[in-house]
Amino acid sequence: MELSFERLTKRYGSKAAVDGVSAVLKPGVYGLLGANGAGKTTLMRMLCAILAPTFGEVSFNGREVTAMGADYRDILGYLPQDFGYYPNYTAEEFLRYISALKGIPGRIAQKRIGELLELVGLSHAASRKLKTFSGGMKQRVGIAQALLNHPKVLILDEPTAGLDPKERVRLRNLLADYAGERIVLLSTHIVSDVEAIADEVLLMKEGKVILQGSVPQLVERARGKVWELTVPEKEAGRWEDRATVANFRHEGNMAVLRVISDEKPLESAVPCKAGLEDLYLYYFGTMEGGETDGAR
Amino acid sequence: MERVERELFWSEHKKLWRRASVKISVLLCFTYVVVFGSVLSFQWFSLGSLSGYSTGFGNNFDGYSVIRDSQAYTLPFAGDLTDETIQQLVRDYQRMYREGLEEESQRTDYLTVNLWLRALWPELEDSADYRQMIYYVDPEKLTGLYERRTQALETFLENNGQSGREKEAILKLEEKAGKPFRYAWTRGWSILLCNIIGDMGTVMALFLAIALSPVFSGEWHDHTGFLVMTTKNGRRGIARAKICTGIAFAIELSVLLTAGILAAQLFFLGTEGWDASVQNIKMLAVAPMNMLQAEIYEFAFTLLGAVGYAGVVMLISAAAKNNVLALLLCLAVTYVPPVAAQYLPYGAQKAMDLIPLVGSGTDLLRTNTFSLFGRYVWSPYLLLAVPVLAGVLCMPFAVRKWARGR
Repeated sequence: MELSFERLTKRYGSKAAVDGVSAVLKPGVYGLLGANGAGKTTLMRMLCAILAPTFGEVSFNGREVTAMGADYRDILGYLPQDFGYYPNYTAEEFLRYISALKGIPGRIAQKRIGELLELVGLSHAASRKLKTFSGGMKQRVGIAQALLNHPKVLILDEPTAGLDPKERVRLRNLLADYAGERIVLLSTHIVSDVEAIADEVLLMKEGKVILQGSVPQLVERARGKVWELTVPEKEAGRWEDRATVANFRHEGNMAVLRVISDEKPLESAVPCKAGLEDLYLYYFGTMEGGETDGAR
Repeated sequence: MERVERELFWSEHKKLWRRASVKISVLLCFTYVVVFGSVLSFQWFSLGSLSGYSTGFGNNFDGYSVIRDSQAYTLPFAGDLTDETIQQLVRDYQRMYREGLEEESQRTDYLTVNLWLRALWPELEDSADYRQMIYYVDPEKLTGLYERRTQALETFLENNGQSGREKEAILKLEEKAGKPFRYAWTRGWSILLCNIIGDMGTVMALFLAIALSPVFSGEWHDHTGFLVMTTKNGRRGIARAKICTGIAFAIELSVLLTAGILAAQLFFLGTEGWDASVQNIKMLAVAPMNMLQAEIYEFAFTLLGAVGYAGVVMLISAAAKNNVLALLLCLAVTYVPPVAAQYLPYGAQKAMDLIPLVGSGTDLLRTNTFSLFGRYVWSPYLLLAVPVLAGVLCMPFAVRKWARGR
């Protein structure tokens, strides 16, 4: 089983939201990382066949997905970034509704809904109206709806948004369990989520996949670029302007900085073990992809 | 309908009925049509006895007993409508007037009889007398009812510009109305057929528009588009379910109102006079129908018009991405044509009546026709068929529009 896309491009006027992206996804968990506007959501929408590419195509097991139509949608689970819901429906009714849309017969749907509500920790709120749910609870309903049809391809756009740490861990475990022989692609800003469960990571920047590989492979690229240095507190601000500072803590009147840099930033700097977040910062400078990526 | 489609339909149906605006609309519509339009109309506004004030709200709250008294009073006159029937009705009314039995005279069908007098014996009207004809006309001169009616009808058609083959078609239809006409107490039926059921469609249009205009356009508001598009049944599946929901809602609302009106009718009027001719209400009507048939026609007209209107509303809803815009356009479909009609030629005015819930079921009391491929067709037939066909025709376009939408 594979989901492949070749030279996938989406242009809006002269701007390319996704620019010639190619990859082959096999069963496993894939993490899509990138700053805001990197093209993650656009790419996911094209993979779900809800957005037509300007160029390129998406295939599942060699068949073009738009040509597959309902057959593709039958094996697809999708959680959109701006997950819409019907406020007057209860969680159970909403899932019943989506089950009907997914063509799942009532009796099977009923059993599955019970399982999923249990899985996402919402059994106690099954009969409550969605409009009374917190953001995290709604998100969990969104995740449950994506899993209703046992999708072979599960695409989750920012699934951890709005979830508290405990819920995030629950979701990570759930997806790790679920993946098995399925393709799971998730995008998130929270690098640690991807680091914890993704078998492979695609790092997107300005519409392009600039890096792809397993977490250890990618982390390897940041090796020798992460440093810890201790500087007087008053100099900390200067370092934040000069380099990408991944972390900052106080120790007495000194500041301990974790700096991402190709070169040893200071004679006293100590090399550190790199993580995926360091790699992310190495390419994006700040978590939101600002311009202060002086390390490159 | 397959099982999954059925479930999708029931889910959509439940979603529609969950909306507060739908529940409030149905409640208001029921209150207006059944509580005010029927129950209070029978008991108070229309059939309550006059309390001495000239306004409708000045009536006493005693419609039920007034109706019973009126039906009991009219019973001896009920049956075939002949010259003698009219003479007796007029004579008895004049007796009551002479004897100062004002309260008793209210039980009579004097309003109906007076309309007949003015239509069939206009030469007996005394322009110097401010009173209605029934007070002073000589009963002995009220003869030749059916000859006069035929003459009056022909004159009416000529004055209306309905001549030649059109006139022939109308008179041919009129021949089917069995004579002598059957008479029974008419006032109650007149209010039921001309006001209560006749106005039902116009009121329903407002509430159908409020309830159904967001059926498609509301999805944009709920941001569920991407979710729906990635499901197996997708937008096309949901569109079909929405269309069925719209039709079901139109039928449910019609049935609810019809049941309410029927319950009120049975309680207040009973079935007395069901077989009386509709010509009792309007002497120049050509409909070959009795009251019950006319009532069935009007309910069918409203039901089919509501289904047709639901189709139009859903097409607009599928095309518009904004709830307010969809609602305004839906309301414009029904409420702009009657206003615009006065600026349009007669033919266009009549054509506008074919828009769902724009025309009136009371057309069965008129002599309007449509020219269809050289043949003249009595308007109630087309008013029954065309609106629902127009609505049904809109439905596949609504599905297509929605399925293609992004």
